[in-house]
Amino acid sequence: MSLKFGILGLLAEQPLHAYAVKARFEDLLGGSWEVNIGQVYTTLQRLERDGLVEPAEPRGDRGRLPYRLTEVGRKAIETWLAEPESEPQQLREAIYLKLLLAARVANGDLSALLARQRRVYLQRLKDLAVLEERARSEGRDDLALLYQGAILHTEADLKWVDACAQATKTGEDRR
Amino acid sequence: MTTLVELTAVSKSYDGAGGRVLDDVSLDIEDGELTAIMGPSGSGKSTLLNLIAGIDRPSGGQVRVAGEDLARLSEARLARFRRARLGFVFQFFNLLGNLTVLENVLLPAQLLGTRPTPARARAIQLLTQLDIAELADHYPARLSGGQQQRVAVARALINQPLLLLADEPTGALDTHSGEQVMELIQGLNREGQTVLLVTHDAKLATRHAGRVVTLIDGRIHDDTRLEGASPRPESLVRVRIQEDQR
Repeated sequence: MSLKFGILGLLAEQPLHAYAVKARFEDLLGGSWEVNIGQVYTTLQRLERDGLVEPAEPRGDRGRLPYRLTEVGRKAIETWLAEPESEPQQLREAIYLKLLLAARVANGDLSALLARQRRVYLQRLKDLAVLEERARSEGRDDLALLYQGAILHTEADLKWVDACAQATKTGEDRR
Repeated sequence: MTTLVELTAVSKSYDGAGGRVLDDVSLDIEDGELTAIMGPSGSGKSTLLNLIAGIDRPSGGQVRVAGEDLARLSEARLARFRRARLGFVFQFFNLLGNLTVLENVLLPAQLLGTRPTPARARAIQLLTQLDIAELADHYPARLSGGQQQRVAVARALINQPLLLLADEPTGALDTHSGEQVMELIQGLNREGQTVLLVTHDAKLATRHAGRVVTLIDGRIHDDTRLEGASPRPESLVRVRIQEDQR
């Protein structure tokens, strides 16, 4: 997700100064990410340079200067929200690389590796379900949906390690 | 804790079906546990449940439940053992349509030969506990899926089984009813009921079971005890944020 559009989205609700942007962003993400204030400053400056935001008050204390969306900025966030995401699938976890290497390096005790990974995913699923429920009970249905997304991804990860384990076993049986 | 179910090197193969459905499975289940058995379809979950229930007999190895070696029991004693010691909940409820809710719940007690008065008292107590007492005189067809499964749970518990076996108990229910049934089963477990749950639903298993056993191609692939969760969001989820470089 781009910080640029994150900031534009927050400013679409109301004018905010940099520290308020940081605080709201962190709250929006349910504490799952700490936002760097330096990045917020530089992004706000770029957005102002490009005419997407403007100072909402006369320029005074830099940290306290509230920004608001310009008409161009509002169009930009609306266009961005309406577009589906088509980036390549991100397989960021090291398990993917481990799987490829273990088959070559470790004389292939893949089954144990997959079982250990499965345990991590099972515990994650349990923990995420607690977070989802907590978010819902705190009235944060949007955040609950974010956790639901993480849960579905974890379920897919589990199915994948099982498919790998099944394939590994079939391979062993053939040998 | 005592061991309630003890499987030692259990295997099962069927004539005609190529290969073993279960292969060298050893598994102990302690009294008071809620254990989930997971695995892809065809991994042997239901076969394992049937062997523990004494519905099916192993091709090799030993199945002991509550100290009884099931292979040594005659069919008649096995049937009595099942009625007295085990409770079953199935995916499709399996209630008898021509009996009322109360009669369905009472049936296993009658088959076991329990005297009518205490059996009836226990049935009413269970229906009350499961919040369906007002449905006692209704016929199953008039109930929702969630209500029918509650009746099935009451029926499974009427003879105070040592072990409750639940095979995909939420498989035919919508998410909300399924969640309620699982809350119910978990509540029973908190009161000491040992439960063996077969499911393919990982979220459901991790949410309600303290232990998850995974079968792959008839073998135990993994056996995990889950920790009670007090998770921190930042250690679980990270929304990726990029700084634009332009």
